[in-house]
Amino acid sequence: MIWILAALAFWIGTLLLNVRISHSRFSTTRAGRLVVPAIFGLTILVVWELLVRGLQVPSVILPPPSAIGARIASSLPVLWGDFVQTFVKGALTGWLIGCGAAVLTAIAIDRSPFLQRGLLPVGNFVAALPIVGIAPILVMWFGFDWQSKAAVVVVMVFFPVLVNTVAGLAATDSMQRDLMKTYSASYAQTLLKLRLPAAMPFIFNGLKIATTLALIGAIVAEFFGSPIRGMGFRISTEVGRLGLDMVWAEIAVAALAGSAFYGAVALIERGVTFWHPSQRRQQ
Amino acid sequence: MKGLLTGAAALALIAGAAQAEEVTLQLKWVTQAQFAGYYVAKDKGFYEEEGLEVTIKPGGPDIAPVQVLLGGGADVMVDWMPSALAAREQGADIVNIAQPFKSSGMMLTCLKESGVSTPEDFKGKTLGVWFGGNEYPFLNWMSKLGLPTDGSPEGVTVLKQGFNVDPLLQKQAACISTMTYNEYWQVIDAGLKPEDLVTFKYEDQGVATLEDGLYVMSDKLKDPAFSETMVKFVRASMKGWKWAEENPDEAADIVLENDDTGAQTETHQKRMMGEIAKLTAGSNGALDEADYKRTVAALLGGGSDPVISKEPEGAWTHDITDKALN
Repeated sequence: MIWILAALAFWIGTLLLNVRISHSRFSTTRAGRLVVPAIFGLTILVVWELLVRGLQVPSVILPPPSAIGARIASSLPVLWGDFVQTFVKGALTGWLIGCGAAVLTAIAIDRSPFLQRGLLPVGNFVAALPIVGIAPILVMWFGFDWQSKAAVVVVMVFFPVLVNTVAGLAATDSMQRDLMKTYSASYAQTLLKLRLPAAMPFIFNGLKIATTLALIGAIVAEFFGSPIRGMGFRISTEVGRLGLDMVWAEIAVAALAGSAFYGAVALIERGVTFWHPSQRRQQ
Repeated sequence: MKGLLTGAAALALIAGAAQAEEVTLQLKWVTQAQFAGYYVAKDKGFYEEEGLEVTIKPGGPDIAPVQVLLGGGADVMVDWMPSALAAREQGADIVNIAQPFKSSGMMLTCLKESGVSTPEDFKGKTLGVWFGGNEYPFLNWMSKLGLPTDGSPEGVTVLKQGFNVDPLLQKQAACISTMTYNEYWQVIDAGLKPEDLVTFKYEDQGVATLEDGLYVMSDKLKDPAFSETMVKFVRASMKGWKWAEENPDEAADIVLENDDTGAQTETHQKRMMGEIAKLTAGSNGALDEADYKRTVAALLGGGSDPVISKEPEGAWTHDITDKALN
């Protein structure tokens, strides 16, 4: 009971603190903008810990954050090995191949009306394939190692990037294209100097959606056969032996990796599309 | 007043219905002849004779029986001892009350053409293994053979095998895990001949661990009424098992009748029942302490990553089977 009251008191205390900070002049500074969400995150962890202890939740149902933290600290080499296997080899490779192929396909579609009528429906069809259906088949085709996981990721990320790129290539208006014609620019010059730069906000939108899909795809694909490494492998086997602290440790790693991946792509976007209204800083 | 009377009448009705004690059994896997004894006991009225009303819940690849038991979704479960003991280490207080299976049906099935004819040939080969609690006997066996499972050339490369036999058919692995009563026959049905295959039974290699036992929560067992219900349940279940051993074909038919998915075929189930009967033959339902000790020793010696770190205490009891069988 005392734990639960402590959790409640802590939550109300930090809530009041955050309200005060948001109303003060400190909140307009950079540090102030970071402190508010940090306090909120800390509150969630502390309240979770206190409630799990107070209500005596069995660790099989929900382990406390302290146990998860201890597991992360004691299994760093294992977690790193799983991260490299699933994220670097599976998700990142698949993301690069899938997004590259999608952008090239979009340009090909843009170039020829024939492909536009033929390829887009196929892309649509591929997007509708359920991952749990194709993953076992791709494992059969490409073997148990990371290659099959990368293949699943390629299938998953291809379509969102394709659709966004096709939309982006249509984003210039006729006035701009006419200007290029008056310069007697070739198709390639128009593409490189006008249409691809104009498509960048759209393309990056697709790339950002693809980051989260890639991680999910790589993890889920490992449920259907894998070597004895990888985040998906670890999650599925540790659930079977009730090592829920390890499962949560992997979830934490996946969440951090996914956020960092998304953030990295968003940063590149900011550099590439600095001219776009959405990137203007608030003064 | 009238409300009170109807309330009392309703209570009397409920009390009448409660004459039959309700028991929910969670299976380890889907409905198949592996669990024939329970389906026979239900179908032939053995449970009814004991005054029980038994609900049998099939399992599957995404169902961990221990979690169902802990969550209160079942009173008793069928599980393998390695995963049950691993769950005990994680704080799930479960206890074995009966052991209908005497022998293990687990084996490695290898393609002859991959050059495996004795366990010494495993070195440098790729082997398919089930995880989720079923990997411990394998890891223990490899550590006995002195083969590291890290994929090094001196050791073996381990694949996490799904619950199918594709890796062997696709030649992605030299050997895969199979049960004598199920996956081995899937390999045969896929067109391979027994003479193309080499099998290594865990039982013959001296690394077998106890399979399908009945487990309940320890704290519930302290309640005399619940333990009395379990005595009746075990007695009727063992009656069902012995009936199934004597009438394998009819038992397979009963299993098929109870299979709501319609996924099982008659030939496969009849074969499975024949193999299962071999595994249950040596057991009257009581756990043999020597088998238990062998299982624990195997799990403690699981190589670099042992499944249990200390000798379990109170993981089994003879109280129920003593009352049920005498």
